[in-house]
Amino acid sequence: MAPMAVQAQHFLKIERDSVPFFRGFAVSVDLVGAAMMHLGDYGQYEGALRVNLHDQYFPILEVGYGKADYKEDVITGIAYSASAPYFRIGADLNILKKKHTGNRLFVGLRYAFTSYKVDVSSGKIKEDPYWKWDATFDVKDEPCSQHWAEVVFGLDAKIAGPLHLGWSARYRARISHNDGQIGTTWYVPGYGIQDSSVLGTTFNVIIDI
Amino acid sequence: MKKLLLAILVVASSCSSIDCPISTKVAVNYGFYNASEQKDTLTDTLSVWSQRKDGTDTLLYNSGVNKTTLTLPISYQRPEDVLIFRIADTLKSVTLDTVWIKKEDIPHFESVDCAAHFFHTLTDIRSTHRGIDTIYIKNPSVTYDTTVEHIRIRFKDRH
Repeated sequence: MAPMAVQAQHFLKIERDSVPFFRGFAVSVDLVGAAMMHLGDYGQYEGALRVNLHDQYFPILEVGYGKADYKEDVITGIAYSASAPYFRIGADLNILKKKHTGNRLFVGLRYAFTSYKVDVSSGKIKEDPYWKWDATFDVKDEPCSQHWAEVVFGLDAKIAGPLHLGWSARYRARISHNDGQIGTTWYVPGYGIQDSSVLGTTFNVIIDI
Repeated sequence: MKKLLLAILVVASSCSSIDCPISTKVAVNYGFYNASEQKDTLTDTLSVWSQRKDGTDTLLYNSGVNKTTLTLPISYQRPEDVLIFRIADTLKSVTLDTVWIKKEDIPHFESVDCAAHFFHTLTDIRSTHRGIDTIYIKNPSVTYDTTVEHIRIRFKDRH
């Protein structure tokens, strides 16, 4: 067997010790998305439910509500709003050698989906340059959706009792997307500003239950 | 671990990039053809105009000679554009043709950082057939793609 395959097998193997396989649940909230919601034009409220399997594997469900409310842009005059729930499902792997200390170093994967509606108003296009007819437009409730994947790298530190604090850095890549008839959507709930891929972070307050 | 956590929190941020399209010209490309569907050169002098909302004329194309193609603007949100083609031959004889282009208009949005535009789907075209023999839609979709030929015209035999 190739050395890399042996290493991977060793890496993923459940350690044999006296610690039980099922170690409980944890709930968490993300503070970065909430701060973005209050300080900027877009953000999300997000919580997660995580299962602890032997302090090594952590299947996780993340659910949130993302919202953008971009008022008329100074240059283009365009206003944009979108809001919708989203979810991510996946798992993290604790890659620390000493897995039962309460501190964790994660790598993980997520699959995510959202279905949302977009409002766009045309802003500064006021009239047709040749014909001079009115050329403003308002798109309301344009239905859109997106599937995407995330690669996660994170830290989780035990603070006191059941309280942990943690952050994660995420690389997001779209799998497929439907932007409706309007061209391209700008903000996608749970994903962020539309592009082929984006980087993001979360800062989580985690309670073991 | 806690110090590392705090240090990373300080620089926690997300990033992305949005690029507006380089070319945002949305216009209709016309090609001139003969009866054999071969490219044809219009040796007469061609001008095209239309009428503004207030009833005054707006010149869209001025005195083109020896042309095989023509690019004209398209209205943003009117259901039908009405264009007047003025064809003047070398003997100064003038023929006027009216062309009606029906279309559907689709607002096109890229990002809040990029100006919005309109794309169009051409649905019908007709003319008075005074100087124009045949006119038809070749490609109905009018977008940022400036390489597409949307409408083909065959003019009647020269005066």
